[in-house]
Amino acid sequence: MSRTITENTFNFEVNATAGDARTGTLHVNGTRLKTPNLFPVMNFYAGGTENSVYGGGVHRTMKEFMIGAERVSVDPLTNYFDATMMSVSSLTDYNLTRKRFEAYLDTPIKERELFEPFEGTVFADSGGFKFLNNAEIDGSDFEEDMDQRTVYQIQKQLGSDIIVNLDHPIAPDDSHQERVKKAERTAENIHTFLSLTRDFDGAQYLTLHGYNYSMMNEYLDVITDSVPQGVLHEGFDGIALGSLVPKKDDRGALIQAVTDCREVMAEWGMEDWPLHVLGISSRAIPILAALGADSFDSSTHIHNAINGKYSHSLMDHSPIKEADFSKCDCPVCQSDHLVNWMRGNTEYKKDILGPVAMHNLIVQKRELADIRNRIQQGGEDALVDYFEETFGRDRTMRQFAHQVVNQSLGGYF
Amino acid sequence: MKKSPKVNEVNEFLEIASDFEDPLEVIRESLSNSYDAGASEVKISIRNQPEGSDIIIEDDGHGMNERDLESFFDLGNSRKTDSIGYKGHGTKIFYKSDHIEVTTVRDGKSYRAVMEEPWEKLNRKELPKYELTKHSVRSGNSQTKIKITNFRSGKGFNAEELTYNKIHHYLKWKTIAGSLAHKFGEFQREMDIIVELDEDIDDTRDKLVTTNRLELPEEQEEPGDGRFPAERMCKHYPAEEIDVEYDGGETTVQIVGMVGGKKARNELPTYGKHSSQFGVWLAKDHIKVERHNEAISHDNEYIHFFFVANCQDIELSANRETIRNKSSSVYQAVTEEIEYYLSKVMQDPWFKEEYLQTRKEGKHRRRMANQQSSLKERRERIEADGFNPANSSEVLLGLERAVNGNASLTLSVEDFQPDADVHAIVRHAGRLRNAAVHPTLTGLLNEEVPLENVDLAVCWTQGDPAELKEYERNGYIGGELSVQLENGALVYRDGENHYTEVIEVKPLLESKVSATADD
Repeated sequence: MSRTITENTFNFEVNATAGDARTGTLHVNGTRLKTPNLFPVMNFYAGGTENSVYGGGVHRTMKEFMIGAERVSVDPLTNYFDATMMSVSSLTDYNLTRKRFEAYLDTPIKERELFEPFEGTVFADSGGFKFLNNAEIDGSDFEEDMDQRTVYQIQKQLGSDIIVNLDHPIAPDDSHQERVKKAERTAENIHTFLSLTRDFDGAQYLTLHGYNYSMMNEYLDVITDSVPQGVLHEGFDGIALGSLVPKKDDRGALIQAVTDCREVMAEWGMEDWPLHVLGISSRAIPILAALGADSFDSSTHIHNAINGKYSHSLMDHSPIKEADFSKCDCPVCQSDHLVNWMRGNTEYKKDILGPVAMHNLIVQKRELADIRNRIQQGGEDALVDYFEETFGRDRTMRQFAHQVVNQSLGGYF
Repeated sequence: MKKSPKVNEVNEFLEIASDFEDPLEVIRESLSNSYDAGASEVKISIRNQPEGSDIIIEDDGHGMNERDLESFFDLGNSRKTDSIGYKGHGTKIFYKSDHIEVTTVRDGKSYRAVMEEPWEKLNRKELPKYELTKHSVRSGNSQTKIKITNFRSGKGFNAEELTYNKIHHYLKWKTIAGSLAHKFGEFQREMDIIVELDEDIDDTRDKLVTTNRLELPEEQEEPGDGRFPAERMCKHYPAEEIDVEYDGGETTVQIVGMVGGKKARNELPTYGKHSSQFGVWLAKDHIKVERHNEAISHDNEYIHFFFVANCQDIELSANRETIRNKSSSVYQAVTEEIEYYLSKVMQDPWFKEEYLQTRKEGKHRRRMANQQSSLKERRERIEADGFNPANSSEVLLGLERAVNGNASLTLSVEDFQPDADVHAIVRHAGRLRNAAVHPTLTGLLNEEVPLENVDLAVCWTQGDPAELKEYERNGYIGGELSVQLENGALVYRDGENHYTEVIEVKPLLESKVSATADD
């Protein structure tokens, strides 16, 4: 199964399947990404100067790991940054002046000397989730109207490899009328997006919103009222399934959404497209991968660190203070210098938490590598074994794991 | 100075023997011993006697030697290691009798051990002794015969209560005769079990003959026809042997079972209350001991499941009815493993999407049929008696009909809350008014609805006039009530006057009907 969307700029090929799960390779703009994979959320800007690697807090330390900055004293951990997610709207989280805003955008990320070791795929989200409560994206500090045109301009200036249209995500308690209205507003953005992105050199993902088959199908019906189906097929290369963050802890809802999304994609002739699930990670990853999702993004590695959690696996973490760093062979825990930081021996909190966040990300990325490896082994057994080993002792998760094994991996009996 | 705690031997024997009351427990014990002795056939006869039961157990197993006989009579000196009788408690059941006689042949020697008056002596605080005699016999004739005279049943466990049917179910449920070991593909020796009851006890047949196997009802994955389409559905789940690690060791759980409807389950023998037999059983030597229905999530009723999880590392209480080592890590690990296995079964598409769905569909069809018959009855009632509201919603329906047929009645229902005191907001002559709606006016008063905020009382009829008079005579919620139906009103006085207009719906409809008839 292989399809070339635009010569030399985007290609997604599936090279192995196990039940509904699949591994593949996503080629975009010369980057090459194995799937299923996780795009950690990175803030390439936010409040800093070049001396502080453009960014503040834990994000700054993450970037230092990425490029192997002297402060962290490790080789660049580019392996774990084969993909990154940058949200356009994160620019609006800080009170940026117009001048700083323009400075940030004047050179694409990967063309900056500073980020020279970084060659990963950059996915730039439109920031539509900021609309969740019907708010507007407020770019008043840097005097920009944050509409589809501006969002695309920023996505382009970042040097993004994958972009999505500006969307209006739904909320669980939205009425039918509200959902339709949001779909209509998104359709307007898609219209604009497609006319703006004709010369874009990366991949364009279409946002899809809904919690079940009927909602997603209706969403596409509304979209195709303004943008003909043929144009959607020409203009887009993948699906970005959104609106699931409020349901991130409801595994049953996630399973239904991804299962139904695959069905809708098949019926709308998009079955060969890669499927990205926006904002979901951690414990849900193996489940969603088994259902056939190809990529995810998340900042849980950072949030967990901020909440004092040190990961042992996707399923398991302990308080940082109780962590036995000697039991982990990741480059962070192998470094005396960084272990010293994680034990609290540094001036800044970000330097305590940054290495923990990096370690947490490594745990997630390694598990994904394991999942890919199991899918590639042929048959479903290796992946079923993963579910057995990973979820067996977790009462809250196992019924969903068993559901997925039965539904997508051939079943037990 | 160090001192050793002492044990009163007599009391120990008394205690252990007293734990057993049911003569069937003698059978359970004997079958396990015979199986362990390699028997291919065991025969048990029970005879009812005025003082108790005479029980004879004969098997063709390898017999007992002198050391085995010591274990037979000793307490806590079993030669078994991990099987069910390892504590050496079981045969002490036999002490609850007047006479124990064991004749056994092993390795060319015949032994006879006799114990007289064990129960009486124990109760006299005297340790009973047995006399052992030994002879040489020709080899190749190994066997054992145990004769218990006047076994004392507990109250309600007399031999006369026994029937072949009861014994059969007991055997399959509580003894090695109900073993599912054969499901695990391992060699399980066949053993024929023959039970003979005295004719005084049950004369419906000569004897009961069975084996040491429990067979599950035949599989039927497809639904049946009829009102209960899932009742005979049945699926077997393959025997699974799971190695379980726990803090301090490793053990094995063997689990096998079925999911099935009521009719399929009825094909299983049971002992005791039928419905209380299903769910998940923990077993040792494949003999079911205690249920662990917590393994089945609350979303599912345990009644559909019959699973037996065998583990040789569970330990039993003295009377073998419960598990003793529940606080151990092995029990913890075993039950967790069982819960995990059952979670897979509960997520099995056959169970979720076929069986439960079929039950749901059957229920739906039965509901529909019930609805049909109930609707038929309701329609017949209307044909016979006409419209007669039974609740406030129906009163409002009547009101609407009255309004439709009477242009001068300018009233419409704008809002209706069945659970509120004041059920409806109605628009009457352009104004919104608060209405309490009841089939009868007396019903409204019986419910003690505060009248202060009630502008309108809408009712089908006034109800019992005598009851209304009683309210006028005795008062209503601390105030006075005046029923002025001729003015179409209730007046309630509690210092202030509250005026509630009364609309009776039935007369409004009747006038409409009679007008139509006059035309």
